[in-house]
Amino acid sequence: MVPSLEGKELLERLLSSESKGELLMLFHKNPGIIDSIEGVARRIGKGKDQIESDVKDFIDLGLFNTVTAGKMVLISFSKEKDKEIQDTVTRYIKGGPK
Amino acid sequence: MSSTRNGRVQTGIQDLDRMLHGGFMKGDSVLLAGSAGTGKTTIGLQYLLQGVTHGEAGIYLTFEELPDQLYRDAGNFGWDLRKLEEENKLKVICTSPDVLMEPNGLEAILASPVKEMNARRIVVDSLSHFNMFMRPESLRMQVYRNVMYFKTKGLSSILIWEASQSIGSSFSISEEGISFLTDCIVLLKLIEIDSTLRRGVVIMKMRGSQHDNKLREYEITPTGVRVSGSFENYEGLMGGTPTRAASEKFAELFSKAAKGKGK
Repeated sequence: MVPSLEGKELLERLLSSESKGELLMLFHKNPGIIDSIEGVARRIGKGKDQIESDVKDFIDLGLFNTVTAGKMVLISFSKEKDKEIQDTVTRYIKGGPK
Repeated sequence: MSSTRNGRVQTGIQDLDRMLHGGFMKGDSVLLAGSAGTGKTTIGLQYLLQGVTHGEAGIYLTFEELPDQLYRDAGNFGWDLRKLEEENKLKVICTSPDVLMEPNGLEAILASPVKEMNARRIVVDSLSHFNMFMRPESLRMQVYRNVMYFKTKGLSSILIWEASQSIGSSFSISEEGISFLTDCIVLLKLIEIDSTLRRGVVIMKMRGSQHDNKLREYEITPTGVRVSGSFENYEGLMGGTPTRAASEKFAELFSKAAKGKGK
């Protein structure tokens, strides 16, 4: 978990790849997804390998929660962490770069 | 006020509840089978909303349709699923069928929401998606596991089954032999009559209860599904080739003859 990132760093990290943007859009629209990485990848028309590192980064950020089902790692969206991140980013954007 | 009365779980569709002699039996697993366009999802949502209205939280478990799409479609009926989710009365969960095939897949997905909301109802949309991942004999085992899990958790469930039906043909619920695993079977059917597509519903099986045996017509209205009446004057509806009943034909011929005489 990386709870104390500055707004700028957080924003850069959230949008550092196209897949991250697609994942954010998918989970904002569909917060009820609880799926394997492969399953999530399918929903944005990608393969597991294409999103694995981005998913890991979101897990590290606390934006995705994980639970294990047999051999699968399932990911779900943390609405609480998302709100926290959005607040930090909003403060940064409103206040301008420091 | 509870929507579960005398051990019956009401569906929210008044005349369907009448056909079921009060509703589904509490804790039962219901197979809701029908082809595309028969309103299975709408009936599933209506069933959950009926529970929510009367204090019973529910879960909609979808494999294919994204929650966003479901929110939009439900919105067209005036149902605000997002609001109900915020109020912790309903949860739309979207996952892949292969997740549930893992040994503790059901538990990983459902344990927390069932406990948090004290959910009493669940709709699974749809069992047919397991077909993509397993053989028929494994499918039966998977359905059995699901049914038993729901019963153990005290959930009354609707399991949606995408049945194939071409217009004008007869109908098979499931070739995979899952019918006997469920307590009740509700069959939805598209029927072509006079070049118009109409919808029929029939209760094919209901363990431990009497039920209506008639095929009845239903409509998908702007506020949900409504059972409107029976196809009194037609025969052969289940076979897919409806014809007017002999008495109706006679009445029509008589009427024509009478008109001819009057000229």
